[in-house]
Amino acid sequence: MHFDLVANLQLLVSGLAVGSIYALVALGFVLIYNAVGVVNFAQGEFVMLPSYIAVTFLLPAVTVFGTIVHWQLPVIAAYLLVLLLMAGFALLFNRIAYYPLRDRGWLPVVISTIGVSIFLRNLAQLTWGSQPLVMPSLFSADTISLGPLQIRPQYLLVIGVTALLIAFQYLLFERTTLGKQMRATAQDRTTARLIGIRVGRIVAITFVYSALLGTISGLLVAPIFTVTKEMGALIALKAFAASIVGGFGSIPGAIVGGLAIGVIETFGGFYISSAYVDAIAFVILIAVLLVRPQGLFGERVAEKA
Amino acid sequence: MRIDRKKFLATSSAAAAATAVVGFPAIVGAAPEPIRLGSIPCLTGSNALLGQQEHEGIQLAVDELNARPGKVYNDRPFELVEEDATNDNQSAVAALNKLLGENVSAIVCPVLSTQIQAMAPVMKTHEIPWMTGGTAVKNTQLGVPGLFRLRASDGITAAAMTNFAVKEKHAKKVAIMHASDAFGTGGADQIVLNLKKMNMEPVANEQYPKDAKDFTAEILKIKSAGADALLLYVQNPSDTAIILQQLRSLGFTAPIVGSPSLANQTAMETAGKNANGAYACVDFIVGFNSNVATHFLTAFYQRYHHQPDVGSGSGWVYDAVNCLAAAYKRQHATDPKQTIAALRGTKNWEGVLGKFDCDGEGNMVHAVSVGQIEDAKLNLVMKVTG
Repeated sequence: MHFDLVANLQLLVSGLAVGSIYALVALGFVLIYNAVGVVNFAQGEFVMLPSYIAVTFLLPAVTVFGTIVHWQLPVIAAYLLVLLLMAGFALLFNRIAYYPLRDRGWLPVVISTIGVSIFLRNLAQLTWGSQPLVMPSLFSADTISLGPLQIRPQYLLVIGVTALLIAFQYLLFERTTLGKQMRATAQDRTTARLIGIRVGRIVAITFVYSALLGTISGLLVAPIFTVTKEMGALIALKAFAASIVGGFGSIPGAIVGGLAIGVIETFGGFYISSAYVDAIAFVILIAVLLVRPQGLFGERVAEKA
Repeated sequence: MRIDRKKFLATSSAAAAATAVVGFPAIVGAAPEPIRLGSIPCLTGSNALLGQQEHEGIQLAVDELNARPGKVYNDRPFELVEEDATNDNQSAVAALNKLLGENVSAIVCPVLSTQIQAMAPVMKTHEIPWMTGGTAVKNTQLGVPGLFRLRASDGITAAAMTNFAVKEKHAKKVAIMHASDAFGTGGADQIVLNLKKMNMEPVANEQYPKDAKDFTAEILKIKSAGADALLLYVQNPSDTAIILQQLRSLGFTAPIVGSPSLANQTAMETAGKNANGAYACVDFIVGFNSNVATHFLTAFYQRYHHQPDVGSGSGWVYDAVNCLAAAYKRQHATDPKQTIAALRGTKNWEGVLGKFDCDGEGNMVHAVSVGQIEDAKLNLVMKVTG
């Protein structure tokens, strides 16, 4: 196959956009893991649920529990409302699925998050039905042409917003007291408590922040992927793999892992075979783990004799 | 209040007599035993939409038959026993095993060919009518006695799609894009076979993995191969909508000819303007307004307040239930073996999807048509007889 610069640039944009979504969801995984030491398997539903709520607020008519609703709110109001509702949902999630089980080890909490995931998917089907819903795009044009390159503005938005969020997160963690408290809680909850950090509150804030990352991912991909009850689970699976490639627990690792999986599977689909896209992504995952079991950015942990 | 022995006996006797008078007729003249009809739609999981459409079509047919004088057969109504096939083969087999313990007389199978093929080893051991809408050619060649297909097979639709692209649209470089499930791969294989008969090879044959959402790589490969027609074999309505959206946004302008699922009502509505101009080969005659089809469309809309998906969703199951009821009447029995014999004798029976004639493999539908999508509606382009 000859080298086609335009096709390669097009692939790069798509790969980065898809990878950005993986990265955002992977960040959600990592933040909660760092804060409470468990993997939140309902992270995908933090993407799916806000997408459904947003589409309900935005579309002229949506069937909710068999009743047609006609909210059609302005976009900004709808997005803010979704963010607010998801922040509330994250607090509830923390209170119901995590907090009562926090002292019972990691397994009950993991099972609890899996339970919430299944519950939310079924709730979505009962609430909105099985029909995929289409989120209106923020852009009137489907594509913009840059010379021979045809780029979807939504993809550029995904990449741009992800870059901004990463910058925001860096500032939050490095320059603010709240960020430092979150980092301290992630590193050692007992010591954090001893130095006066209200660990429970910081954990709740971490859940909210993680849910908001999922919400933003959902709002970004819904116009591209359509809104279905499975949409979050599909993204979460790749995001989980991305966070492992990057080194579970590592924030830069989650970002690099997400982007890498997105780009590799897009190029792999083009240059090797689209039938093996998933296989390519997971072969890389295995290869990385064989060479660096701690992941690309993970810290080496040795068992004491 | 005190009741003495005499009073107690008198009261008890009166109560027993009253029970005998009132209660016995209910036993003596007991309602005829219902005919238990099994169904295994995908009610949950990523294909829940297809399952919902199946459920709606079956329920409509069952309720209509139960409401008519004489009910389904000999005053016996249908009793629907439903199990969820969810989204994977293991669940479908588990649902099937559960249903087989429910003393059902016939089973309407899930529409997914991959699930039919997974269920086949169990189905082979039970001689009851199996009604399927799975279109993979292989389904009726699995050696399952009593398996009947209520839709045109992929052999017919793939041939019609290929002929339409090559002969009507004069395509010289045909590309294929398909899902990795049994439906997608089976359909793509049939297209390749038909192209070979015309001494052609696909310039690209792109299979995408289950649950993929970005198709840039596949579309760019198809574009860079210089395809002048794209044949699409995809079952999932959400995938169909996303692929059409991405084909348009990446500037693919050659004719798109899809399998019946491209004209799935939900797929057309979800894809919106991106589906406009695309062709779909469907296993019913577009615009064929037989009395049965007209009644089905009207009754369905009145009941559910949305358009049915005629092909892959509600239409074929509606036909399956009515076809069974017609077989009971012809055979004057509901015994599964006799029903299978009666179904094999189906000739010129009119259903929503057209005229039904059973061939040696149990295929009932042999005619398809090509339509063009415009604003979520399919307009007839040409009829094709398989």
